This record gives sequence, C-alpha cells and structure tokens, in this order.
Amino acid sequence: METFLTPSIRRRDLVAVLFLAAGFGVVLLRLFDPATSGVFPPCPLHYLTGLYCPGCGSLRAMHQLLHGNLREAWALNPMSVMLLPFVVYGLTSEALLQLRGCGLPHFFLPAVWIRALGVAIVLFGIVRNIPVHPFDLLAPGVLLPL
Amino acid sequence: MFCPQCGASNADTAAICTQCGRQLQAVVPPAGSPTPLPVQGVVLPPGTTVPNYLVFAILATVFCCLPAGIPAIVFAAQVNGKVQIGDIAGAQAASNNAKMWCWISFGVGLAAIGVWVLLVMIGVVSGIHNNR
Repeated sequence: METFLTPSIRRRDLVAVLFLAAGFGVVLLRLFDPATSGVFPPCPLHYLTGLYCPGCGSLRAMHQLLHGNLREAWALNPMSVMLLPFVVYGLTSEALLQLRGCGLPHFFLPAVWIRALGVAIVLFGIVRNIPVHPFDLLAPGVLLPL
Repeated sequence: MFCPQCGASNADTAAICTQCGRQLQAVVPPAGSPTPLPVQGVVLPPGTTVPNYLVFAILATVFCCLPAGIPAIVFAAQVNGKVQIGDIAGAQAASNNAKMWCWISFGVGLAAIGVWVLLVMIGVVSGIHNNR
C-alpha cells in the first residue's frame, strides 16, 4: 500500500502523534470560539482581501458543533457541516489503515462525482461572496433560521 | 482439434492431448494484464483499490490552501476514473500527484500560520492580546 512514511518512522507513532494533535485542537476549539478569540490564526485570504473562501467559517462552525449548536454551525458554513461526517469517516479509515493495515469499507466514488464535488466547492466559494440576495445567505453567519 | 505439438487428433473439448499430453485449452492470462476492476457502484472491502487521497484533498482545500487543494481533488477524481477503466498504472500516477498536491497545500497552510505567528510576535498584527 502506498505510504509516505519512511522506515524510521513507525506508523503507530505517527498516528498517535496526529491523534493527540487533533485531540488538542478539538479541546482548544471546544474551549475557545474562533469568532472572538485570537488563539486561532485567521485565514490569510480573508485577512488580505476580505473575501470568503469555501472554508470560511468552518472553524467557527466546528466550535458551534462541539457545543451542540447545529443551526449556528449550519449558518457559518453549511458545506463544512455536510462534509464533516465523510471527512471524519475517511480520516478514521486512514488511521486504521496505518495501524492495522486495513481501513474501513467504503463506497467507490465514480470520478464524475468527485469532480462534481470539486466544482461544488469552488462554486460555493464564488457564490457566497456575491452580496446579492439570496446568495448572501451563504456567507458565514448570515443564514440564521428564524 | 489437432494438437499443435504432435498433430494428433483430439476432441474439441479435450483438456490435454491424448498422444503427447500437451495442454490444449486456453491458458489463463498472465497476472498484470489490464482487466477492469468491477468497481462501479460497489462497496469495496477496505484496501483493495488505489488510494485517491480525497479526504485529505478536501481538508487541504477547505482548511489549508484552496489553489493547491483543487488540483488535489482533480487528481483524486482522476485516480478513480482510471481505476474505472482499468488503467491501474495511470491511477497510481494520479494518486502520487494527488498526494503531492495535498502536501503542497498543507505546506502552504503551515507557512501561512508561521508567517502569522511571526507577524504577531513582532507586533505587526494584533494577536491574542489585542483581540478582546
């Protein structure tokens, strides 16, 4: 199986380190709100241009999810919320692949689906910057349900 | 059929020549020939296909660096596309490209964080202390 690990780095160690780093990040994200705290670095693109990239608001959305606020999370970055379960499943599968040589069963995605996802991500990044209703609903924090 | 080795006449369905024992039926193609994998719409047992790094490509695009994440997603799609038509070598090449772009995106994201930390430390950018 294709791997980037050199023989000197044991897979188990790398997975353990990454898991700890991720765990630390999750704890940090639970404690601090990226919206108000300066603990987290801002997105360079947004900082320099003011534009919303497809990931804008995703960190704040994760913070809201860690506090059980699905609606607020959805308002900040709906795409991240939708992709999160798949990403978590995929990362778990990767970790298991490195640890026991066998990941989780997965559905084979036809290439056209993956390309469609890429297009959707880019379109989301473009459309959410249009300050015209209803596109502005996709900007972080705007799509708040009544 | 006639045996290609000794010329003896055999039944058409005979497995070996009754005269010299030569195998008469078609041999299984050698390993490595490009046969399309039956992957369309199938749940695969884990570890049976070429890795497409799609999860990392998505993370790279959303969290690290969009301009580098998009090629990663494109190559991830290419991996699966090539597997669908049986081009395993091409799929492996696309897989390597996808992995490379994931690393590039991660590196750019990490460098951006590094630059931000540096700017905070030298006071150009308001960081933790001023953001209340």
